[in-house]
This record gives sequence, C-alpha cells and structure tokens, in this order.
Amino acid sequence: MTRIHRRRFLAGTGAVVFAGHLPRPALAQAKPRVIVVGGGPGGATAAKYIAKDSNGAIEVTLVEPQRAFTTCFHSNLFLGGFRDWASITHSYDKLASGYGVRLVHQAVAAIDRNARTIRLADGSEMGYDRLVVAPGIDLRFDSVPGYSEEAAEVMPHAWKAGPQTQLLKKQLEALADGSLIVMVAPPNPYRCPPGPYERVSMMAHVLKAKGHKTSRIVVLDSKDSFSKQGLFQEGWERHYPGMVEWQDPKMHGGIKGVDPSAMTVRTDLETYKAALVNVIPAQMAGKIARDAGLANQTGWCPVDPASMKSVSDPNVYVVGDACIPGDMPKSAFSANSQAKVAAMMVRGELAQARTFPARYTNTCWSLIETDDTVKVGGAYEAKDGKIAAVSTFVSQKGETPEVRRQTQAENMGWYAGFTADVFG
Amino acid sequence: MPSPLPWRKPAAAAALLAALTVPARAADRAFGEYLSSECVACHQLSGRYQGIPPILAWPEETFVAVMNEYKLRRRANPVMQTIAARLSDEEIAALAAYFGSLPAPPAQ
Repeated sequence: MTRIHRRRFLAGTGAVVFAGHLPRPALAQAKPRVIVVGGGPGGATAAKYIAKDSNGAIEVTLVEPQRAFTTCFHSNLFLGGFRDWASITHSYDKLASGYGVRLVHQAVAAIDRNARTIRLADGSEMGYDRLVVAPGIDLRFDSVPGYSEEAAEVMPHAWKAGPQTQLLKKQLEALADGSLIVMVAPPNPYRCPPGPYERVSMMAHVLKAKGHKTSRIVVLDSKDSFSKQGLFQEGWERHYPGMVEWQDPKMHGGIKGVDPSAMTVRTDLETYKAALVNVIPAQMAGKIARDAGLANQTGWCPVDPASMKSVSDPNVYVVGDACIPGDMPKSAFSANSQAKVAAMMVRGELAQARTFPARYTNTCWSLIETDDTVKVGGAYEAKDGKIAAVSTFVSQKGETPEVRRQTQAENMGWYAGFTADVFG
Repeated sequence: MPSPLPWRKPAAAAALLAALTVPARAADRAFGEYLSSECVACHQLSGRYQGIPPILAWPEETFVAVMNEYKLRRRANPVMQTIAARLSDEEIAALAAYFGSLPAPPAQ
C-alpha cells in the first residue's frame, strides 16, 4: 500500500493519526515504574540490574541523598592507611549514563504503601509499581547508656562511612604512645560481623607502625564470641603481642555506661579512662523502612527468602542490611547477592522475564596486618522458611604467609570487581 | 519468484535441523547469564585482572574442567570450592557457554 492510500484508509476509518495532539491514549501502556530507596550496595545493585536486564521496559529511579558513596566495606583499610578516601568513594554517574537509571538525590520522607507513592524531602511525590527498600542500618544509640548522636562526635561509631570515619581516623592518628583505646562491640545482629575486629587490627597496625610501645586496645564485647575469632586472636598474638585485650560479658560483667565528657567507659569490673573510645552500638533497619511498617519487633525487616519480598507487602522488596537475612551475614556482598534475586523477581513480575530459583552467596575478607588476610563465606538458598546456608568455609589457623598474602590480593581484587558490579 | 520448500534443499533442511537444536543452546546461555550474576561480584565483566582472574572467552571444555577441579577440591581456594560444589554439571555447562561467548579481554 502506498503512503497516500494508507492515509486515506486511516482517515476513512476515523482512526487517530496525530497522536501528539491527544492525551496519552488509554490503550498505550506506561512503562512499569520501580523506585529504589537507598544507593548503597543493595540499592545500587538492584537499580542497575533491573534497568540493565529489562532492555528499557522498566523505568527505574534510584533515590539516594548522597551524590557519591563512600563504602563502609574497606573503610577499615582506609583507617589502617592501606587505602585512600578517593579509592573507596564512588560516583553514581555510570548507573545513569550506562543503564538509564534515573537518579534523585534527596532523602525519602515517607512511603505510602497503599497509594504506592513515596514523598521526597522537598514534598514532591513519585508513584511506583514496585519498591525496593535498601536503607541500610540506623544505630540504637540508647543501647549503650550515656551514648547518643551528640556523643558520637566525641566517641565515634564510624559504622556508617563518611564524616564519622574521617573523625575516627583523625583521632587515631593523633594518639601518643601510652594511649588506651576502648572499643565497645555490638550484640548480634549487626552490620559486618568481623568488622569491629578488623578495625581493632587496623588501629593496632597504625600504632605499631608509629612505633608505639605501650598503647593498648581493650575490646568490651556484648557477645560471647565473634566471627573468625580464633583467626583474629592468633593474628593479634603474632603481629601485635600484648596490645589487644578482648573481654566477653562474663569477664567485664556488663557495660554500665560511657561518659563522653570524661572519656570514660564503665563496666561492672572497672572504669576505663581512654584516649579514644569507639562505641559500636546495637543496630536496626534504617528509619524509612521502620516508618513504612516493614520491620517487625526486632527492628529488622522480614522477607520471603525465595524472592526478597517484604512479608508485609507484595509490592515491596527489602534487601541489604535492613532485612532479616537468615544465615547470611549483614554484608555488602550479601546485599548485592540479595539485590540480584530481587531484581530478577521484579523483572519477572513487570517484564515477563524468566526467573530461576533464588541463589545467594557471600564472602567476607578481613585484613589483620599487611599481607595477612582471612576470609569467611558461604552459599545459601531458600530453605526451611529462611535463607539457609548450603555450605560455608573459613580460613584456617596456621595457613602459610603465602596463602594469607594471596587472600589479601583476592580481597583487593574483589573490591575492584565488586564496586564495578555495583556502581557500573 | 517462488521460494524453494525446505525439504527440497539439503542445505535448507540442515539449517532447519540446526534451528531446532539452537534454542536449547540459547537457553543454556540464558541460564548461564542468570547464574553469572553470582560470579561478577568478583570476576569483572570488563575482563580486568586485579587480584581475581578474568573468566571471559575461555574454551568451554577448559571452563568446565577447572570448575570440576574445584568441585573435587583438587584446586585450592575455598571460595571457588564452595561455589563449584553447589553447581550441577548443567549449571557449569551453562556458565561455560555464557562466559565463553563473551569477547576476550584486551591483553594486560
């Protein structure tokens, strides 16, 4: 049919020719919309993978106040002088330019799950078909008597990377020989199980490198044991003999309180006056998730292990530290793994994509001293009503220096690959 | 001009047979692409080698052989041993097809 004949034909049937003059026709389908709340390893991965694998069929918006993201993972290495700040800070530009993710650099003020809208800090609203909530953690300041958000300016937690990390680094670098560092370590569950002990190692490394002879680090734990404990204690004995003392609750009898103005930490056993106090309090899901009714009485968000969907809302997924991850630890690697499952399920719902049974994986590397790194990890799947470990592994005591050196090379390689995977 | 019917041309018949077997191959690769999301957290899709080796464009038999060595714990590395142990032969083949189909990384 020639062009002229087609025009006459369409005019004759009364069909719409100039669509631009009309409001969006009812028959034309608007693209399904996904909003991702939070641009950490969970949220950024979800946004990227939904956009990347849907060939433009889904409109993806990532809402994250920060314009660049400093990773909490490897922030201990920054503390120890093994990495610089720029190397652990990542832009979101590639998510936009490479995958078409729409970036909104604001905080989310509220989520209306009935209307399926979010309200931003500036008052504007956005609608969604599916929501991925990945807000990370909030600190339970009141879990340590005497601690508060204000107190954190003197006794940093540095459990969210950013100004707190910089503050802790500054305090550490300013210590003279003969200093006492006290760390209050958190109860389970918390972000990054081996994190506090890698941090102890990094602080010890800095002091040792500066030639300190009598500085000490005392760890007052809320737990009876910790991740990779045998490996850390072996490493501390080997590299920092006499510098680190770890106390479990049976030993110290309970943490009675901290006093930021006096720089003291009181346990049932004694009161410490410290030059540096790192309080890592108990934690909970980020506020936006709790305010939206996605958390249970534990303060964390229960999810369906086969899909990462919130048990409270079939249109909402929760990934990363904020969720209840079964046997998986709260880690960036876990967040990325969970986000990939959620992304697949979202695409299955909105773009008729093929879905497969959920698989999860995690590996956590911890640097103890230069070229001495240990790791722990596992493979997981939905089983027995939770994300259950299928198999796990952990470094062994007495491994050769070569194995530990290779593990550190793997750690650095992982970070490069991982951040490329998350941020584009 | 009439087009020849497929069964009258041996080449066309062969192409038809190939077309019937190609979907299974494509499904392997699609399955492999799904499974690969687990791998790319460490093995960079760009092919850059920074402490963790690239796994792009390997001959499929090599990929399968190496993964089986990890599965049998004949190759050291507990991360890879754990990952290989939970992959079936079909899954390893799918991954080999997917990663094998990606372009080789530039020489570094």
